[in-house]
Amino acid sequence: MKTLRILVVLPLYGGSLPIGRYVATALKDMGHLVEIFEAPEFNSAYDCLRKLRVTTDRLDYLQNSFLNVVSQSVLAKVETFEPDLVLAMAQAPLNHQALKRLRRDGVTTAMWFVEDHRLFTYWKSFAPFYDIFAVIQKEPFLSDLEAIGQPNALYLPLAALPDFHRPIDLDPVERRRFGSDVSFMGAGYPNRRAAFRQLVHLDLKLWGTEWEGDHVLEPLVQMRGARVSSEECVKIFNATRINLNLHSSIQADQLVTGDDFVNPRTFELAACGAFQLVDTRSLLGEAFADDELATFTSMDELIAKIDHFLANPEECHAITERGRARVLKDHTYHARMQALLDFTASRIQDWPRDRDTATPDPDFPPELRDEIRQLLARLGLPEDVSFADLVWSLRQQQGTLSELDTAILFLDEWRKLYAKRC
Amino acid sequence: MKHYLVIQLARFGDLVQTKRLVATLAARPDSRVHLCLDRSLEPLARLVYPDAILHPVTAHGTGLDGPEAVRAMLVDNRRAFADMRAVGFERVYNLNFSGLNFRLAALFDPDTVEGYAWKDGQELISPWAAMAMRWSDHRRLSINLVDFWAAYCPDAIAPQRVNPPASGRDDGRGDGRGGGLGGGLGVVLAGRESRRSLPVEVLARVVGTVARARGVGRVVLLGGPGERAAGQAMLKELPPAVQAMTRNVAGQTGWADLVEIVGSLDLLLTPDTGTMHLAAHLGTPVLAFFLSSAWCFETGPYGEGHVVHQATAPCLPCLETRPCDHGLQCLGPFADPGYPRFLATGNPDHAPGGLLACQSRFDALGQTYAPMIGSDPDAEQRAGFRQFILSHLTGDHDSIRKGLSDMDTLMAQRVHRERDWITTAPMRTITE
Repeated sequence: MKTLRILVVLPLYGGSLPIGRYVATALKDMGHLVEIFEAPEFNSAYDCLRKLRVTTDRLDYLQNSFLNVVSQSVLAKVETFEPDLVLAMAQAPLNHQALKRLRRDGVTTAMWFVEDHRLFTYWKSFAPFYDIFAVIQKEPFLSDLEAIGQPNALYLPLAALPDFHRPIDLDPVERRRFGSDVSFMGAGYPNRRAAFRQLVHLDLKLWGTEWEGDHVLEPLVQMRGARVSSEECVKIFNATRINLNLHSSIQADQLVTGDDFVNPRTFELAACGAFQLVDTRSLLGEAFADDELATFTSMDELIAKIDHFLANPEECHAITERGRARVLKDHTYHARMQALLDFTASRIQDWPRDRDTATPDPDFPPELRDEIRQLLARLGLPEDVSFADLVWSLRQQQGTLSELDTAILFLDEWRKLYAKRC
Repeated sequence: MKHYLVIQLARFGDLVQTKRLVATLAARPDSRVHLCLDRSLEPLARLVYPDAILHPVTAHGTGLDGPEAVRAMLVDNRRAFADMRAVGFERVYNLNFSGLNFRLAALFDPDTVEGYAWKDGQELISPWAAMAMRWSDHRRLSINLVDFWAAYCPDAIAPQRVNPPASGRDDGRGDGRGGGLGGGLGVVLAGRESRRSLPVEVLARVVGTVARARGVGRVVLLGGPGERAAGQAMLKELPPAVQAMTRNVAGQTGWADLVEIVGSLDLLLTPDTGTMHLAAHLGTPVLAFFLSSAWCFETGPYGEGHVVHQATAPCLPCLETRPCDHGLQCLGPFADPGYPRFLATGNPDHAPGGLLACQSRFDALGQTYAPMIGSDPDAEQRAGFRQFILSHLTGDHDSIRKGLSDMDTLMAQRVHRERDWITTAPMRTITE
C-alpha cells in the first residue's frame, strides 16, 4: 500500500491512550505519515473546570464548550494535514458535530474501540458516525453495530509493539525493585482484590492504581499505588517469575469470569517473553494455542499452577518462547493496522483517494542527493516519498530547523506562490 | 556586538519603507544590522542601506524555470540560511505575512522573532502584527507602514531622523539643506498595480501643466521595461515644447542609475511606487497621486514637505485584486478638465471635488498628512486612533489628542482581543 497520511486522535486520558501511541508508532514504522492529536495536553484544563464550584448547569455548559473547542482543534488539524484516515481511539474527543463535518467533507474516519462494549455503552451514540468501527469483541457486538447503522464493523483484537514490549536485561537494582515470584500489574478491580487475598502467602507484588482501602493487600502494593508507566510495566513483566493476568470484572462473586475479549497485557507479556498465568477468555483460543500460554479457569487451578510453575522454570521458558513467537508472527500493532487499512480499502470506495498530482515533485540537485537521502533516513521516510509528505515530516520537527530543512520548506511555499513551475 | 536581523522579502517600496526600523537598530550601541531580502533588490539595498550586512535569497518568482528555482532554493538560499543561522541574532524582525517568511523563521528561536514566527511547525503572529491585521478593516485611519515596522522597537528613532525633508535634499553637506540640483521633473509612469496609476492621457496633461508651471528644463520618464511603451505613448501626448525636453528612460536604468536620476530631480510626479519611496529617502520632493487601493496615510512618501493628492471617494481605499464596482470614480478628480488648472494655480477654488491635497508632516507617532486643500472627513477619528496607538506603544496619553472619549473604548474593543490581555505579555511592562 502506498504511503498514507493518518491522523491518530488520542483520548484525553484512559486505557486507550497508550494503545493509541503504540498504534501511531506502528503506522510510522510501516512508512505512513502520521500526525498525532495530543488530546492529553488538554486534560488538565478540562480538569480545572470541575474545580470551579459553580452550578451544575454552568459546569455542563463549560465542559461542552471546552470539548467543542477540542473537537474543532481536531478539525483544524484535519484541514491542514489532509489525512487519508482519521483514526480515533476509544474516548477520542470528537463530538457529533465534528464527526458530521468530517463525513460531509469526505474525510474517512475509523475508531478502534478498545473497550468492553458492555461497560462503555456510549458507542451506540457515535458508532454510526464513523466510517469504520473496529472492536475487540465479536457477537453480539458486531450484530448490534450493524443494527444501529454501522455496516463496517471489524473485529480487531489488541496486540503488542515488539520494539517496546520485548525481553530486556535488568541490572540487580532494577531486578530487586521490580522483581518477585508473583506479581500483578493493573487496577484493583473487585474480582482481583478477592482473588489476590488468597495469594498473600506468596512473594507477591501488586502494581498499579485503585488498591486503596484493602488492609490485606495494601502492604503488597508497590509505589504507593501510583500510576505505573509503560516503560516500568515492561521492567515488571521481565523481572517477575510469574505474571498474573486476571481480566477485570466489576463484581467480586465470580473471580474468573470467562468473558470474551483478550486484554492488552496478554499480548504485551507474551511479547516480552515473560511468563504469565492468564484466565481463559472465549476469544483467547483463536489468538494463542494451548502450548503458547499458561491459563487457568478457577482460583484453585491458579493456585495449583503457581506452585507448579515456580517449581518448573524450564517449562515456563518453553511456553514463553512459543508465546513470544506467536505474538511476533500474528499479534503486533503493525499487523493490526495493516488489517484495519486493508479492511478500510475493501469497504470504502476509492479509498485512499488519489492526491492532486498536477504538480510534479521537484528534482533535487545532484550534489544534494546524498544529504536528501540522509534526511529521509533521519525522518524515517522511504526514498520515493512524495515532496508533500517530506514537507509535512519536516513540519513535524521540534525546535529550530537546519538550513536544508528550512530551504525545503521555503521551496514548498515558493511553489505555492509562483504557479508551481517546478 | 549585538546582531539584529530584519527579514524584508517584499518589493522595492517595502524595502525602502523599512528604513526607520533599520535606522533604529543601527542607532543602538554596539549593534550590527543584517537585512534578508530578495536577491533582485540587493544592488538597491547596497545603496539605501550601505552599512547593513545583506543576506539575499531568492524569494520572488520572476524568471526562474523549474530546475533553476529548485537550485536557487536548495543550494543558494540554503547557503544564505546557513550564514544567517550561524550569526546568533539578538532579535529577528520578520516583516511580511507570507508563507515564505514563516518558513524562514524556522531557522530561529521563536522567542527571538518579532512579527511572523515558526514554533514546532506552527505559524505564530506576534501581538503587534496581529493588532495591525485587525485595524486593516479601518484603513482610512491607518498609520504609515514605515512607522508600523519601526514600532517593533520601543526605542524607535524620531521620525524626523529617517529621511531628509523634501524642502532641501541632502547634497552631501550634511545640513539637510541641499539646494535644487536642477535635474528637472521626474515622472513615474506606473506602479505595479495598474489601477493606482494615472492613464497616459491624464498623466500627460498633468506633466505638461507642471512642467510649464514650474519652468523646468528637463523631464525624465521613469519605469521598468513594461512601461517603456507607455512612455512612448505619453511622449506623443505631451505638448510639443514639453515633448522636446522629455526623455523616456523606462526600462533603461539600473538601480544605480535610478538613484542618481531621482536624487538629482527637482520634483518627482508619481503614483504610490517604490520610486516614490526612493525619492523620499533621497529628499527629492514628491508630488504623488493616490487613488484606488493606494492610501497616503498608509504608504505615503515619508519625510517632511512632500505633497500628496489623495482621492477621497467613500469607497477608498479599495482592494486592487477586486474589480471596481464604482466606475473608477476615484480617477475622476485627476481626469477632471479643471485639474491641470488647479495644478498650475494651486488655488483651492480650482480644486476638483473628491480630492484632498495634503502635505506630509510629523506628529509624535510618525508620518501624517495635513490637509492643505479639501477636507479630510476622517481627520478627527484618525487623530484619535493615532493617539490610541501612540499610547499603546509609548504610554504617551496626550501628544496627538488630549482626553479620552467613548471612541477610545470602541477602538480598544476593535483592536485588542480578549486573549491579548489574558494570554500574552504586553509589549512593555513596568518591570522592564
